[in-house]
Amino acid sequence: MSLQEETILQFAPWESFVSPTFWHKLAEVKLDHDRLSDTKRSISGHYTNRNASGCLLEVDYTAYNRSAQPPKFSHAAVGTIYNKNTIEEFKALDKVALLADEGKELVADMRSGRVLGDPSLLARFFVLSFADLKCHSYYYWFAFPCPLTPTLKLQGGVQKLRDVPNSQKYTQALKALPAESQAFFILYVNEKENVCEARQLNSLDEKDVEHYYFGFADPSEYDHPAWLMRNYAAWLLNHCPTFVGKKLRFLGLRFNQKMQVDDSRIWEVIQTEGCDLADTMELKFVGWEANKNGKMGPRMVCMRDSMDPAKLAENSVNLNLKLMKWRLVPDLNLEIISQTKCLLFGAGTLGCAVARNLLSWGFKHITLMDNGKVGFSNPVRQNLYTHADAVAGNRMKATTAAERLREINPSAETVGHVLEIPMPGHTIGDSLRAQTEEHLNLIEKAVRDHDVVFLLTDSRESRWLPTLLGAAFKKVVINAALGFDSYLVMRHGSTRDDSGDGGQEIEGLKCIRGSQLGCYFCNDVTAPGNSLKDRTLDQQCTVTRPGVSNIAASYAVELLVALLQHPLRDQAPAYYAQSGKPEEADGKVPEGLLGILPHSVRGMLCNYENILPATQKFAQCIACSKPVLDAFRSDGHSFLFKTFETAKYLEDLTGISEFTRLNSEIIDFDDDEFDMSEEDED
Amino acid sequence: MGDLSWNEFLSQAKQFYEISQELGDAWILQEKDSNPPNTFLKISQKIKNQKDLVNVEYHVVYSVSYQVPMLFLQAHRSDGSLLDLDAVWQLFMPETNSEDLYQILTQMDHPVLFRPFMALHPCRTAEVLKQFGEPSKNQVLTFISLYGPKVQLHLQNAYGLATKYT
Repeated sequence: MSLQEETILQFAPWESFVSPTFWHKLAEVKLDHDRLSDTKRSISGHYTNRNASGCLLEVDYTAYNRSAQPPKFSHAAVGTIYNKNTIEEFKALDKVALLADEGKELVADMRSGRVLGDPSLLARFFVLSFADLKCHSYYYWFAFPCPLTPTLKLQGGVQKLRDVPNSQKYTQALKALPAESQAFFILYVNEKENVCEARQLNSLDEKDVEHYYFGFADPSEYDHPAWLMRNYAAWLLNHCPTFVGKKLRFLGLRFNQKMQVDDSRIWEVIQTEGCDLADTMELKFVGWEANKNGKMGPRMVCMRDSMDPAKLAENSVNLNLKLMKWRLVPDLNLEIISQTKCLLFGAGTLGCAVARNLLSWGFKHITLMDNGKVGFSNPVRQNLYTHADAVAGNRMKATTAAERLREINPSAETVGHVLEIPMPGHTIGDSLRAQTEEHLNLIEKAVRDHDVVFLLTDSRESRWLPTLLGAAFKKVVINAALGFDSYLVMRHGSTRDDSGDGGQEIEGLKCIRGSQLGCYFCNDVTAPGNSLKDRTLDQQCTVTRPGVSNIAASYAVELLVALLQHPLRDQAPAYYAQSGKPEEADGKVPEGLLGILPHSVRGMLCNYENILPATQKFAQCIACSKPVLDAFRSDGHSFLFKTFETAKYLEDLTGISEFTRLNSEIIDFDDDEFDMSEEDED
Repeated sequence: MGDLSWNEFLSQAKQFYEISQELGDAWILQEKDSNPPNTFLKISQKIKNQKDLVNVEYHVVYSVSYQVPMLFLQAHRSDGSLLDLDAVWQLFMPETNSEDLYQILTQMDHPVLFRPFMALHPCRTAEVLKQFGEPSKNQVLTFISLYGPKVQLHLQNAYGLATKYT
């Protein structure tokens, strides 16, 4: 041989590769077994030399099993986990000392002969970890300890097995080796005697070294051998000190996907200096894994997305909505929906159904107000309550509903307030004045803090205060009211400053700007008095066909979603047919993202029909007109208390009493009749 | 052709597993419990995702409602974190027609493990299998070879040559 190239052999460092199941199991072990104990635990890992990528050492849930059974085509690695109780202990632990301790155990195994019995001890690793089980965060740092021994000098280049003369013989010999012996073995090649066979490692005889290839399953995909060869060589040179200064051949066994071994690599190396592994004082160790940034330091992974059931539910709910976005409505703005805060007045049949529909759409913030307890008749219709709630006798609807919503979707932020909504004409005695003040403050604050107000109570007059507050604080107001087999769902006109967008002029259609649309009370010419007075029982409770509430609740939420997706939101105009024949509006009304955005939906179950009237704001409205809003803004609670005293006060304030005197025929008008919007129009 | 009963799926999955063993492939036949459809084929591989490696685990599972084999998959990074649907799309997008993948790759509940998994939607599988006729009597094999490549799951040609099943 002429000039010999001599370079230092370098190794492909291990890369840790953790299966999510490893973290799942660690959480389980910590919670059910270790608890407060942080003593180290034996674990196992595995690596493959079939179609290898990088140089991976993998761990999964089987790591904690007592006896390691590596997956098919994989070999066992021997490890330890130090799972600390706190992040402080994790950080404060002396990393150099820990590595040295682990290294010394490895060296002890090398020197004791244990390695010869179980060579997988050479594929060594340990993990320092801290599991933050509340946040599902795992801090961890892998190390692959290895004594710092003199360098191995590479003789010639790296050779591929296929380039070796007579490589077929080698291949045959390697194929005859049983899978469980492939991790570490000897390939004995004696050309003279025409012997080529793979042998167990414990057949090692140092006299035969010139015929040996020290074989090992090599998980490296590079020209460099895997890190574990470093421990292999250190052990060999310690086990057979005569190897120092001799040429040693290593064979990194590598299979491709078709189980061919042609790409296996051969390195011929010499270690010129000896090394005394017994001298543990002097011995240094290396092996901490660098993190993602290539720096020496721990890693952190957040497993919330796959481990926190609440997060799993949230992601799945979002996925259903996202599918709608991806597949059908690409411009759908889901962000707006998840940010919109909804305040529901009433947690009865309508309130429950609306709340559930809101959850389905991905609304997160839901507040309910109601003064009632769950009664025996409620659970069958009010879908957030059960019989047990009624039996308990003390379960308030508002708080129970809020709790149930969170049980259904833990990521929902829900609150229930138990309170009475003060109503016009419902006199408040002195003894209740302080409590009413308190409730008023709470209601006012709630309206201010939310974006949308839903009116879902069972009486007309209880809708008056929320309508007024919704208008005063410029909120989106959605109203749903039920008759026996009819329903009304509407959005109240906007009270925000008019954006000036008047909508399109369309032939045959009348257009009402969003800011000109009426509220629930705009079509009324009486102030809401005490409607529960002088009524029979079946009129007091809302006696309705059961489907009506679900239909109305669904329309109410869909109407809100359509509104939120409209570029003008509550200022979006509404249209109706000038001729009074609804069919003439068909197909002409401009559509938003989710179709048309009507002012109101009135439907009847008796003929399964809906009509979509749009009505103007009424200048003398007892809930949303200027005189009322002005009086509220200037006099606040004292104004409200006057109205609670007598509803007449509102009629005088707005001048509506003049109206009633002028035209007594329309006094009887009420929700149960259909008003055709054009009646008010010119 | 097209629809597959549970028993047909099971016997063909077992047959497929035998071929893979003969070919030295890493497929596993996993049996969860004794309630059908309890058995599925499973294989893992590492895929380069720009600089990083990800592990992708593929499951071929029987869909009772669609009566066809379904391909489920789950991908995780080296720290154990799972790739979400967006990330999985990104992973496979260069390999396949993007429109196509948006239409077919989605998240569904795994019918055996009852956990959310990525899945190739089965709504057209029966139709597609029908169109392909009988390149192999083993429809599970036909299914994997047709749908696998969309998500970088490639079978060796030798599967097609396993003549005793074709």
